[in-house]
Amino acid sequence: MAEVVGRIRQANYVPKRWLVTSLVLLVIFAVFPFVAGEFQTNLMAKLLLFGTLGVSLDLVWGFTGILSFAHGVFFTLGGYAMAYYLKLNLSATANNYGGTLPDFMVWNGLKELPWFISPLQYFPVAVIAMVVLPAGFAYLIGSFIFRSKVSGVYITVITLAISSALTTFFVSQQAYTGGTNGITDVSKLILFGATVPPIGIYFIILTFAALVMAGSWWLTQSNFGLILRSIKENEQRISYLGYDVANFKIFIWTLSAGIAGIAGGLFVPLNKFISPVYLGVAFGTQIVIWVAVGGRGTLFGPIIAAILLGQIQNSVDRITQDWQLIVGVILVIVVLFLPDGLMSLLPQKFLSKKSSQLSRSE
Amino acid sequence: MATSSVVETDKVVNETSDVASDRQSVLSVKDLKVVFSGFKALKGVDLEVGENEIVTIIGPNGAGKSTLLDAIVGKSPVASGHVYYHGKDITNQSPYEVARMGIGRKFQNPNVYNELSVFDNILLALKGSHGVFASIKSKLTAGKKDKIISVLDRVGLLEKGYSKVSSLSHGQKQWVEIGMVIAQDPTLVLLDEPTAGMTPDETHLTGEIIKTISQNHSVVVIEHDMEFVKQIAQRIVVLHQGEKLTEGSVNEVQSNPKVIEVYLGREQIDAA
Repeated sequence: MAEVVGRIRQANYVPKRWLVTSLVLLVIFAVFPFVAGEFQTNLMAKLLLFGTLGVSLDLVWGFTGILSFAHGVFFTLGGYAMAYYLKLNLSATANNYGGTLPDFMVWNGLKELPWFISPLQYFPVAVIAMVVLPAGFAYLIGSFIFRSKVSGVYITVITLAISSALTTFFVSQQAYTGGTNGITDVSKLILFGATVPPIGIYFIILTFAALVMAGSWWLTQSNFGLILRSIKENEQRISYLGYDVANFKIFIWTLSAGIAGIAGGLFVPLNKFISPVYLGVAFGTQIVIWVAVGGRGTLFGPIIAAILLGQIQNSVDRITQDWQLIVGVILVIVVLFLPDGLMSLLPQKFLSKKSSQLSRSE
Repeated sequence: MATSSVVETDKVVNETSDVASDRQSVLSVKDLKVVFSGFKALKGVDLEVGENEIVTIIGPNGAGKSTLLDAIVGKSPVASGHVYYHGKDITNQSPYEVARMGIGRKFQNPNVYNELSVFDNILLALKGSHGVFASIKSKLTAGKKDKIISVLDRVGLLEKGYSKVSSLSHGQKQWVEIGMVIAQDPTLVLLDEPTAGMTPDETHLTGEIIKTISQNHSVVVIEHDMEFVKQIAQRIVVLHQGEKLTEGSVNEVQSNPKVIEVYLGREQIDAA
């Protein structure tokens, strides 16, 4: 008995194994663009970004138990904020019509820039908007959903509806959103007077991914993370202990949407366009697949899955158009044989998911 | 014979409520009615709980015992009547608000976190600030660890601190939940069948834990096991079909013909 007491008293916060693993991974990713070519660097940047988007979903689904198909929406809202900025800063010579008004607005008969889009030509406004727009939108719907009696699968259905509704809305508002094509032919990202090269964008994305991982790890290992896990297992019980469950859900939901929004904003300089495709249910499902295949509540899982599936798609794409078939087969295999995802193949001690507040020190 | 018993019981009621008012009322339930889609689960129940008092609620299945606790903590909506806690009206408050005021609840089936360790279950319940930002900043301090160790020790689960709750026996899970309630350090403790699924030894130990709790907490216990009721009971309230049948000491309740008729049955009386 005294031994147990001693163990509990000594337990503290030294995540040494995680720290070492993360640093090694970070070094590998930092060296990668110098070894691989530009194509692979851009691909890896995109997959890292998708993986980080998966991590944002993991926070609400893997840890808190809220399955969302709307994370593509938050991603895309951040993406549009950045896309407007890059589009509005296209030099007059690069613009097809010689003016400063974006081409799709000219086609649709707009004479001047709408007042609600105009502030996005300034970089600080665009950067703030790429976080605040998706997070604010998430806060609004989150306050509505989580304060009501809606729960479980019905929340998921609402996220599907949001995804479909926004897709239709963006497609229909062609003059303002570029319709189905979205915003294309954007300017390159210019920071401090210099055009950011692909490798620069890669490192911005890597920094973002590392910060999100570190922050999410810290958050989920805290007492707050324990509360998220308990909400996932039984949200009623914890309210009888004095926790206002809705507040916790709204907070993690909003935070997650903000992360997804930044991912979307960083996606545009890389991808060179944004379109309503990323608002749709298909892309929302893609994010869910990264989390499911990688392992819910593992943080590293979605990144591994996004990179793995993305590389498989890239290789198979050269042979056949039917890469989705391959991804589908992988998904079925994982769901049937690895319900906890690829991360469950690692030794148990590497998993943060099931650890106690005590055992995180061991 | 029957009439005299009823008169006696009424006298006891007056006496006990006098005692309750002397002690200062912690919980006061007035004419509480709860209706589930037309079914009247509670038809106007009164209940007084004094400071550091143990009140035991008995009654046949469907009498409304759990519903009464549900209505107090804000789980079941109250149709009419009032719940006062330290004189403050808390009728139909949210469960988390009721919990923050100092009312702890243990459910009928152990309602614990099976996927978490015993330690984490107690940590979650620990009294303190339960806001979002407070929980992010919160650290597992030595003081908190000691508090959790003392709770685990009290319910006899110190050796199991690291174990996942899913690996425990039914009786041990009951103790985890009792430990959670102790960790909450509420003024008023509501226990719904705390000994269900326990061996006689475990049941007896639970009774002793509850007696210790009542030294500085008010306790309401729902029980079926008459041996256990005798061990802990100070005052017993008998519910039947959503109404209070009677209340009094163990002997008074057991000798009440109405109680014999609806609840205790012949063998229980013989045993007593």
